[in-house]
Amino acid sequence: MSLLRQLLHRNVGVRTLNNSVCRNKVRFLTTAAPEVTRETRRKKLIRVDKKEKYPVVSSDECFALLYTFKRTLELRYIQLHPAPGSTVRKSDEVARGQLKDFGKYVAECLPKYVQTVQITAGDEIEILITPEGVLPVLQFLKDHHSAQFSNLIDIAGMDVPSRPYRFEIIYNLLSLRFNSRIRVKTYTDELTPVESCNDIYKAANWYEREIWDMYGVFFSNHPDLRRILTDYGFEGHPFRKDFPLSGYVEVRYDDEKKRVVLEPLELAQEFRRFELSAPWEQFPNFRNAHPAAETVETEEKGKK
Amino acid sequence: MAGVVKTTTGLTGLAVAKRPHHTLGVLYSKILRTLQKMPESAAYRKHTEEIIKERSQILKANSNVEAVEKQIGCGQIEEVIVQAENELILARKMLNWKPWEPLLKQAPLNQWSWPPAQPQAK
Repeated sequence: MSLLRQLLHRNVGVRTLNNSVCRNKVRFLTTAAPEVTRETRRKKLIRVDKKEKYPVVSSDECFALLYTFKRTLELRYIQLHPAPGSTVRKSDEVARGQLKDFGKYVAECLPKYVQTVQITAGDEIEILITPEGVLPVLQFLKDHHSAQFSNLIDIAGMDVPSRPYRFEIIYNLLSLRFNSRIRVKTYTDELTPVESCNDIYKAANWYEREIWDMYGVFFSNHPDLRRILTDYGFEGHPFRKDFPLSGYVEVRYDDEKKRVVLEPLELAQEFRRFELSAPWEQFPNFRNAHPAAETVETEEKGKK
Repeated sequence: MAGVVKTTTGLTGLAVAKRPHHTLGVLYSKILRTLQKMPESAAYRKHTEEIIKERSQILKANSNVEAVEKQIGCGQIEEVIVQAENELILARKMLNWKPWEPLLKQAPLNQWSWPPAQPQAK
């Protein structure tokens, strides 16, 4: 049940036996229940996955199919809709539509910089931009009449070493005027500097220092780019994935010298081979999970 | 100012505007002049012109400040002035940035894919 609920919450398609769904007394509603004729049924069955031998159906069709086949089939990729009264958060279609419209609006106004607009977690809008566009996009979102995102809530970083540009820089903005939030994401690597947005948002000063400290992303034109969280004389950037969990140095009190000394790390324990990984994969569904974000079709893409 | 003189906006650092109609009129005409330097097809120009023209029409139609505020529906007249100032700064910067040009570069493949273990073909 809890797994099911998680899946529901994330709006993820699941492979499930319908009987098990029914046994748990979870009721689902369809948004649209199209009439299933014999012909459509046959069509659905043609699209059988050859390896699996299960019919592959889309979200709206699956419930109609479920109905028709008297819950005897094992269906793949069911988009689950929570029943009314359930504790699962419902997605607000109106708010989503507004967010999508705003995303399209931003992409239309700034086609030079906006790569993708997407919606994640049901009702959070993200603008993915080129690294050159940090200043224009943020200035637009702050000063434009129909945006007015005048507050910079946070700047976050992310490190994914497998990517060509391993760092993501994430700006979270808030518009008090329109009571809405937006997330702007861009990317960089260890050497490419990102423009500092300190001139646009004064709040960025410390946040950018924090990113510099934790990830080593350089912000050009920042007035005071120093470390902010780590200790004096600290070396390295602790939030990088290649930074060891134990760090490089250790601090201890030396009784002979009668003071605290800083030494290169020496693990007191003998070398032991820890086998921490289980022989099976814990979350195999992670590999073939549905995409976490829904891309909003912008005009540029429509033209192509 | 119908009888009652407004003494405060209730917002820190935001003084009561003495001649809001005059200030706003000047700002709006400046914005429109800046926008005219942009290409006609620029979406930013189109949308902003629409907003500004609508607001300046409301401004011209009503001499009463409260009526203007009510019809624009975006806060007090002082806040509307601040918004116009911001838009003017933005429009002037936009002239240098030229955001209406085509996309600078696409993201590298799988730059935005998540989870990273599962690369999505584009």
